[in-house]
Amino acid sequence: MTMPAPTPNLPALTRRHFFSRCGMGLGGIALASMLGQRQLLGAEARPLEHPLAPKPTHFPARAKNIIFLFMAGGPSQLELFDYKPKLNELNGQPIPQSFIEGKRFAFMDSSHGVKLLGTRRKFARHGQSGAWVSDLFPHTAGIVDDISIVKSCQATLFNHAPAKLFMNTGSGQFGRPSMGSWINYGLGSECQDLPGFVVLQSGPRGPRGGAVNWGSGFLPTTYQGVPFRGAGDPILNLSTPHGVTAQKQRQTLDAIRDLNLQRAVETGDAEIHTRIAAYEMAARMQASAPDLIDLTSESEATLKLYGADRKEPSFARNCLIARRLVQRGVRFVQLYHTNWDSHGGPGENLQGDFEKVCREVDQGQAALIRDLKAHGLLKDTLVVWGGEFGRTPMGENRDTTGRNHHIDAFTMWFAGGGVKPGQVLGDTDELGFNAVGDKAHVHDIHATLLHLLGLDHKRLTFHFQGRDYRLTDVHGELITRLYS
Amino acid sequence: MGSLFHRLTAASLLLAGLTFAAEVDYLRDVKPILTQHCVRCHGENKIEAGLRADTAAALREGGDNGSALRAREGGESLLLQVVTGQHGDIARMPYKRPPLDDTLVAKLRAWVTQGAPAPADEIPGRFEHWAFVAPKRPAVPSVARREWPRTPVDAFVLARLEQERVSPAPEADRVTLLRRASLDLTGLPPSPAEVTAFIADQTPDAYARVVERLLASPHYGERWARPWLDVARYADSNGYSIDAPRQIWKYRDWVVNAINRDQPFDQFVVEQLAGDLLPNATRDQRVATGFNRNTQINQEGGIDPEQFRIESVLDRVSTFGTAFLGVTLSCAQCHDHKFDPFTQRDYYRMFAFFNNTVDDGHGRSNPGGTLAFTDEMPPKDASNHELETARAELERILDGKRDAILAWLKDLRIEAKVALGGTAREALEIPWAEQTLAHKRALYAAYQPTDADFKARAAKITRLERNERKPVTTLVMSELPKPRDSFLFIKGDFTRKGEPVTPGTPAILPPLKVADGARPNRLDLARWLVDPANPLTARVYVNRIWQQYFGRGLVETENDFGTQGSPPSHPELLDWLATELVAQGWSTKAIHRAIVLSATYRQSSRVRPDLEEKDPLNKLLARQTRLRLDAEVVRDVALVASGQFNPKLGGPPVFPPQPDGVMNLGQVKREWKPSTGGDRYRRGLYTHLWRATPHPALAVFDGTDGFSACTRRLRSNTPLQALTLLNDEQFYEFAQALAQRVQREANGDLAAQLTHAFRLCLARAPSANELVRVTQLYREQLATATGDEATRRGEAWTVIARVLLNLDETITRE
Repeated sequence: MTMPAPTPNLPALTRRHFFSRCGMGLGGIALASMLGQRQLLGAEARPLEHPLAPKPTHFPARAKNIIFLFMAGGPSQLELFDYKPKLNELNGQPIPQSFIEGKRFAFMDSSHGVKLLGTRRKFARHGQSGAWVSDLFPHTAGIVDDISIVKSCQATLFNHAPAKLFMNTGSGQFGRPSMGSWINYGLGSECQDLPGFVVLQSGPRGPRGGAVNWGSGFLPTTYQGVPFRGAGDPILNLSTPHGVTAQKQRQTLDAIRDLNLQRAVETGDAEIHTRIAAYEMAARMQASAPDLIDLTSESEATLKLYGADRKEPSFARNCLIARRLVQRGVRFVQLYHTNWDSHGGPGENLQGDFEKVCREVDQGQAALIRDLKAHGLLKDTLVVWGGEFGRTPMGENRDTTGRNHHIDAFTMWFAGGGVKPGQVLGDTDELGFNAVGDKAHVHDIHATLLHLLGLDHKRLTFHFQGRDYRLTDVHGELITRLYS
Repeated sequence: MGSLFHRLTAASLLLAGLTFAAEVDYLRDVKPILTQHCVRCHGENKIEAGLRADTAAALREGGDNGSALRAREGGESLLLQVVTGQHGDIARMPYKRPPLDDTLVAKLRAWVTQGAPAPADEIPGRFEHWAFVAPKRPAVPSVARREWPRTPVDAFVLARLEQERVSPAPEADRVTLLRRASLDLTGLPPSPAEVTAFIADQTPDAYARVVERLLASPHYGERWARPWLDVARYADSNGYSIDAPRQIWKYRDWVVNAINRDQPFDQFVVEQLAGDLLPNATRDQRVATGFNRNTQINQEGGIDPEQFRIESVLDRVSTFGTAFLGVTLSCAQCHDHKFDPFTQRDYYRMFAFFNNTVDDGHGRSNPGGTLAFTDEMPPKDASNHELETARAELERILDGKRDAILAWLKDLRIEAKVALGGTAREALEIPWAEQTLAHKRALYAAYQPTDADFKARAAKITRLERNERKPVTTLVMSELPKPRDSFLFIKGDFTRKGEPVTPGTPAILPPLKVADGARPNRLDLARWLVDPANPLTARVYVNRIWQQYFGRGLVETENDFGTQGSPPSHPELLDWLATELVAQGWSTKAIHRAIVLSATYRQSSRVRPDLEEKDPLNKLLARQTRLRLDAEVVRDVALVASGQFNPKLGGPPVFPPQPDGVMNLGQVKREWKPSTGGDRYRRGLYTHLWRATPHPALAVFDGTDGFSACTRRLRSNTPLQALTLLNDEQFYEFAQALAQRVQREANGDLAAQLTHAFRLCLARAPSANELVRVTQLYREQLATATGDEATRRGEAWTVIARVLLNLDETITRE
């Protein structure tokens, strides 16, 4: 009979730690605590090993944090960044068969047209880089020299929920950990009083798929994204119940800790210490999260830069909160804004509806880059902008114009955290259908983001159901030109 | 003798600079190396690179890269090159496993150098992995401490401990033991009265009788249904982005009932996999097939329904592998399994069993896919009567206009007919007398779209229909009259069909028995699974039961019994339990008894400093383990302590309160109207499980989400759990109710009241230190509270109750 090789196990490690550290003195500590002599404890108390404790990188990192501005629904690159005069010229004509042979589309079985649709937007070159940006993004046009625009992004799945999962987890299947979870698993968190992965939402509805987009999959739930809410408590159950004062809450917490400590002594179970630490963290979150979203200390000039209101929920306000989160050391912040699903129907056409959603994000996202830069945070903070896919050069045959989901070429942009500013990477063919050069598949983007954080995507693994899983599965090539 | 020989050989090897003397014998020295290290991927089940290594002749003949034995230009044979990692293009073998010892390599080299002599009539070597060989009933080992074992389980555990010179832990105290057994068997804590009775009962079989009482409790079925429902990926919604609600709770209730009546596990499995195919299948047996209808359904617009129908079939294969065989079959979806002897073809032969049911990828209600309980209708109310009257009146009016409608139809041009809506177009094919009211309505609406009286009546009916009584339904498996053709999908991509496949089981496992010439179906598959010759089914099941009791299975990788999984810590014990299950007529309760009555189970869970170095993970089982309760039980314990617990069994899912805004997190905002009355206080098992937005108090304690088969829950320990227990509306409600209960039930003396409160939450009385601490807290609260005496007491008690419900011990089974 052979014993299986011991697997790394946190409770076991902390239990050893607990015995070596406390062996003799713990009974005394518990007793001191019981008698209310907490000052005695102060000298002894050291932070316990915690799953979110900061961990070393695989190699020197260029970025510490990520802010991912997720444009849920799939924004049309052809109305924003990917300028195609030829498409305008051929407006209304059928797309040459050679482009679409063998491709699958969403709504493929319906009567949606395959005629080319030119854009009505006016494009101009901006900044030193001369990047094309349309008139819908006037603020963003002003930051092109701080960002790197990638026009050759590619995805695998063309329906919203699976594609969104793919962008977040590297797989269209449910149950895989999201990027933010992987990153917190790999790096830990540098913030002692907020979660390491925070999600903020704006727009008319939640993103498709919901909480699985920031789920921790098979990783421990410690690493899952915590949605902060636009109104009410920023975190579920953050407020004490009605009638419970701060003093009463503290007295309650103190008693819970003392009794838990006593049990820890009796049972020798290190897991109780983790729970004591979790309660302390919860108490700090109760204190710090309201402070986080309290924008009274932000100047009028800052609010004006973002176009944000101190109270009213909006994407712009979330951008400002994102900056405050990375200031506090939160590792991964994800902002979702809906709705970019511009099929052409009511509420989702490429005319007024699209203009509205562009207006909702333009100023805030540009302000975020400027503000991070002004605070000296941009060098450590990697900002990512994009949706789960892009839109087709063909227009859909509906009452107002719209475009279908498209995975063969779409645009994302990146800034800060080691990203080379002021460049446009990759291109598309003359109709904007296929990516040409510097193709950046979602897996490649994941590999590159991890790389900038100092993590090798092939070494960041978790053993589950008989195999080592990775964010990039068995894929992923670094997009070296993005940062070198 | 053998080992002496080995040592001598090893010594001579060293002396000879790792070359081998002439005594190497193929069958004795070489073949075992090949069988153990090579044949898994180069044998009859899988022929990687076209090469077989199960006979010397096959090695000589070679594969895609030529003979494995012939010396290569400027160097050694391919065999030696790959095992030493010297080949430029081929990875070092064994692939992704530790390299062979130098002594083994030396044997291979000596044999090849000798010209690789081997018998001509060699029988091919077969890869053997312990889990793929049926368990044999092991003898119960003898032990030195004969008085310790209480059930055969203990003999296996103690034999190992004695071998390691470790003594077992003392038995847990009686209160801990009762709370442990109650939580493990029913998921509910013992009442103070049960604790008192148990302590007072000094008869030798007191504990055994408690175990019988708990096994007979209907709550036993609820508690043990939960891990099975995790495996079955049960949920009350369709998943994906739309996540519409679904009715399949009849399946959940079927599981609870089956477990409560200790339905033999073989029947339990057969009914879930193929209840619909049993001769004269009962309604219950069809309900059981809901197991494989717990797949997600994608109702998003624009999808290709066939893609998502196939997704659910793939899920069924993957779940079958995980749930019953404990192997990672899904690894073979895109390519042959990298480590286990399952080919991609094996995978799609399994796929072919599940590919023939009526359900589609869009969740349309195809005939046979849904079972309606027409005998379980809610009682009629006034609005139902009104609806019936309104329908009868409209039908009478429309019948009166029959001739006019038919005349209009007769003159209708073909283009106009094509433009009619679905129902009206359907009506064209049906004689008036056989048309439903819906048909007649649709036709008339097309004929006279502006008739105000008709419109008013139709609108009224539509309004009343919202409140129409509908029978309870549940999703079931239902076979198509003619099976679909199944294919291997190249790289797992359903748009790339490869060779056609027929239903079949993996070649490494015992053969499937089918009547001559018949095409195997799910029923054959189910019976194959529960044939005692199947090496995996019973082992995988008893291992998961064990895992519930000790936090870790005897095979730690409970979902991977393949070559990448951990070997069992106690192989004979695993096999004894597996064969015992079959010997006891597949009685699950018999396995529970064997474990719960054992001395091993009854040990104290205190951490043993003396074993910190030797056995930090407690794999030797020289003590019990403290386990944080499952999400649902965290709720149940507080609910019972509060005195609000509603013990009702079964029925539709319920909606206990949750913080506002949770449902906004899904794509479609679903309503969450908190249940009132008794349904507010049901067990966590009955909470409506939305896949996209699970109840946060369950999710935060690692409850399952129903996306895929879950064979083991994580036990995380996070600040969000603390916030839930501290601040969540319902947990605060429990604290207030517990505060009132203590004041109501315990009189007088503060110490007695506090003791009662401890016993309601922890089953035990407080220690002297603890009593001092909570007394201090109570006085502190009473002093700072305002209002009259009763109000101040109430406030102070609520604080005490909140502290107790938040203790680590309260949410832990010790």
